[in-house]
Amino acid sequence: MAKGYCLQEDIIVIDRDLTELDLFVKDFLNILKRYSDYLIVSGFVSISTGRARGTEDVDILVPKMEEHDFEELFNDLQKNNFWCYQSDDPREVYQYIKDMQNIRFARKNEIFPNVEFVPINEKKKIQFFEFTHPQKVRVKDFEFKIPPLEFEILYKEKILGSKKDKEDAKHLRIFFSNILSKDKFDKYEKIIRGN
Amino acid sequence: MKPKTDMDYIELYAEKLKSDNSLFKQQKKLIESQLKGSSSLFSNMFSGKNFKADARKYLRARGLI
Repeated sequence: MAKGYCLQEDIIVIDRDLTELDLFVKDFLNILKRYSDYLIVSGFVSISTGRARGTEDVDILVPKMEEHDFEELFNDLQKNNFWCYQSDDPREVYQYIKDMQNIRFARKNEIFPNVEFVPINEKKKIQFFEFTHPQKVRVKDFEFKIPPLEFEILYKEKILGSKKDKEDAKHLRIFFSNILSKDKFDKYEKIIRGN
Repeated sequence: MKPKTDMDYIELYAEKLKSDNSLFKQQKKLIESQLKGSSSLFSNMFSGKNFKADARKYLRARGLI
């Protein structure tokens, strides 16, 4: 029997085939990365590492972009078969970004799955911390960034706290029990609790 | 331990997955069948030229935009 994952130079390598959900996220990231850095958070973190549940949205943190850069990204996404729930006009959609409100993208003629595009800045301290401390994950040729595992677990347990979030956290605690660090849990708990 | 609660099953599954990656095959099927289900549902609901307009009307009514 082969193990579910291994660590290769600090990258978590998951030994599985890509799913349709991975391919959707991969296509989106391939465009986003031309314009911005990012961090995938929440449900996709647990699902991409084996949690057996479905999801309809993939949350991606993106530093607040300047209008010109955002327009270029938006047009590129449209050109590559994505559409935005909010509007087809990038200037109109940028008002959401300006106001730090989330927007959503899906593939043309689809609603689900979608990317929830979450603008962040330094004022969003918890999100900014995880964004600046990424953990790389690789599945086949798909490499992406998530928060530190300990941070994601604590965030789900202490901040989000729904049944689904607690189950996701449990999955991560058990599946990654060999590589989780107590010191990191202690450090991140202080950050999450804001002291 | 005999699993009783949802959490027990999650624990058991994650523990097995750690040492046996063949379980990922089932997970892939589950994820893809859910995606296929929602995709065909909404394709039927909003087929045609007005997909975006109809979808936005639906999403607005549900407070998603």
